[in-house]
Amino acid sequence: MNEATILDGTAGAAIPETAEPRRSLFPFVFRGNGGEYFRIWIVNLLLTIVTFGIYSAWAKVRRLRYFYGNTLLDGHSFEYHGRPLAILKGRLIVVGLYLGFLALAQVMPLAILALLPLVIFGLPWVVMRSRLFQMRMSSYRNLRFNFEGTYSGALGAFVGWYLLAAITAGILYPAWVRKRVQYTLDNSVYGTQPFTFNSGNGVYFKFCYITAGLSLVVYVVAIFAVMSLPNLKGLFGHGVPPTWLEIAGALGVAGWLLILVGAVAAFSIAAYYQASFINASFGGVQIGSNYILSELKVAPLMWIYVTNLLGIVFTLGLFYPWAKVRQTRYQLENMQVDSDGKLGAFTAGTAGATSAVGEEAGDFFDVDFGL
Amino acid sequence: MIAGRYFDGHSAAPAEARIDFGADGVVRVLGLAEPVAVPLGQVAISDRVGNITRRVSFPGGAVFETFENDAMDRVLEAHQVKRATALVHWLEARWPVALGSLVAVALVSFAFLRWGVPALADWTARVLPTATDRAIGSGTLQVLDRVAFSASDLTQERQDELRARFALMTRDLTDGHEYELELRHGDAIGANAFALPSGIVVMTDELVGLSKTDDELVAVLAHEIGHVRGRHALRQLLQAAGVSAIALALLGDVSSISGLLSAAPALLHAKHSRDFEREADVFAKQWLRQHRIAESNFDAILCRMSAEHPGAGDMDYFSSHPATSERAHCESGKPRAKPQGKNPD
Repeated sequence: MNEATILDGTAGAAIPETAEPRRSLFPFVFRGNGGEYFRIWIVNLLLTIVTFGIYSAWAKVRRLRYFYGNTLLDGHSFEYHGRPLAILKGRLIVVGLYLGFLALAQVMPLAILALLPLVIFGLPWVVMRSRLFQMRMSSYRNLRFNFEGTYSGALGAFVGWYLLAAITAGILYPAWVRKRVQYTLDNSVYGTQPFTFNSGNGVYFKFCYITAGLSLVVYVVAIFAVMSLPNLKGLFGHGVPPTWLEIAGALGVAGWLLILVGAVAAFSIAAYYQASFINASFGGVQIGSNYILSELKVAPLMWIYVTNLLGIVFTLGLFYPWAKVRQTRYQLENMQVDSDGKLGAFTAGTAGATSAVGEEAGDFFDVDFGL
Repeated sequence: MIAGRYFDGHSAAPAEARIDFGADGVVRVLGLAEPVAVPLGQVAISDRVGNITRRVSFPGGAVFETFENDAMDRVLEAHQVKRATALVHWLEARWPVALGSLVAVALVSFAFLRWGVPALADWTARVLPTATDRAIGSGTLQVLDRVAFSASDLTQERQDELRARFALMTRDLTDGHEYELELRHGDAIGANAFALPSGIVVMTDELVGLSKTDDELVAVLAHEIGHVRGRHALRQLLQAAGVSAIALALLGDVSSISGLLSAAPALLHAKHSRDFEREADVFAKQWLRQHRIAESNFDAILCRMSAEHPGAGDMDYFSSHPATSERAHCESGKPRAKPQGKNPD
């Protein structure tokens, strides 16, 4: 794609004012490519290794800048502004907590239980700070995003609704999923314009229940089919659990075919869930008089999942950059913005507030936990 | 002159503009209603990543954006603006560098997992007190008694005899472990012996039945003592933690495939586990030599245990134990490879 197509007609300070706003569709465009990202990925991986992980914060910033910067809407790219030092600080804290947790789990396993309330009440806080960092570090057309979610909002969405889902034996699980998405999206702001999240509970209940139903059917059928394989029956019931090698040998051609069918079924369900989730979540976003349309399809997404997995397995992970680019491209290029034609009409928040954030972010609490 | 777009910092509306880095050290944005001129030292120019838009940020939040990365690089070079991250882009832009990095990543990862992790784990184990060993294995025997073992069928005299022999073996060991021999009926586990990190060694009736002389049992027990003395359980745990930590560091951002690659630590676990078996074998044979007991006792009982449990072939890579053919010289022809988990642990 050359520059002429990137710079479109709406550029320029003068935006035509018409009596009746003409609506138009702006597709998201992803310009990244696998080979380019592979080089960035492998060089940064090596630098991360030789610096004993320190460089990983810089690598993360370069990775996110690559993906944000190659995401275009209306000819303008997104930009990631996170600073490596803030991220490094966050990572060191997380690694420290993780090591402490491991040590404690080994020496005093029961003490872990005492930490549970800390984790339960700490997690919403981490989510809130992480969303805040993520949004504030993102910009489009030189306007920053912002996040106005509160701690109590996160506590309700992530813990309160989880408890409701748990005590109703999962019946309210879809509402929990929606609450989490709503917390993230409804509290986001672009410039001075807050997001509105319009997807109702119905669509979440529908795809969650369909996913659960399909999974249950596949699971039950798979169990019965595998247990009916004649060779496998002999392996169980001797007190000694069979090793994986013994099981693999006993499966035979029929068994492996069965596993293949099962894997395809599982991938289809995963793709169905993912496509539905993204469509319901991003598709429900309204920013001013602009609406995001998300139209991911199950079959292409599943094809991407399966081929990505095979590619990664058979290249011992080297295919990963291409896989990541393919998936990102598919997701983005099936999303567009239905706009009144004035994507340039947004304004920055109170003067200076958005640009000062970069400094604030360096504050201890604005660390990115990489969620 | 480089073409691009200018944002005033207050609105999302772009203005077509050009930027000029003057020889006088002033950066000018041209083509605007009100021209912008700022000293080079006061603007921030974003690092180049791939071919994403390059941003020149002005004080006050205004930004000039351009897709012409190469032109920007030439300007920066002309004005001798140098920064380390330019080198990173130089590296990222070249296939030979990428392929070289790939080889280096593979070699370093291999070397670190092969030698670095065990060395780090051993060092950590030396720092940790023996009390840690007791903490790791506490409760294991109770669980095994519930799910796998039943009480020993051996006579009390025979049990006392074996315990006395074991006590004699461990009397002079001053490594902080409380050595103790437990006898159990192995049931499904069959002829086997294994050590708990605290110093408790469990031996099954079936193994006692399989032995021709008590010296053979002593050889197996010496192997188990080797595990305890070498603090293999603790080291294994530390190595597993090390491998996980590396996987986290390398693949921390790769949530979708890190699950896939979690098989790698399992394979390494088996590899390290075999190293510990060899270490325990060496200890056992050395102990036998010191106490003037024929090393052939060790080979004999190991071969008999293998013969009792015919199973998988020489699946050396996946196995938690080395192949018996590698560990012992069996008398009757080609030694049989040991099936998983049937050698003394």
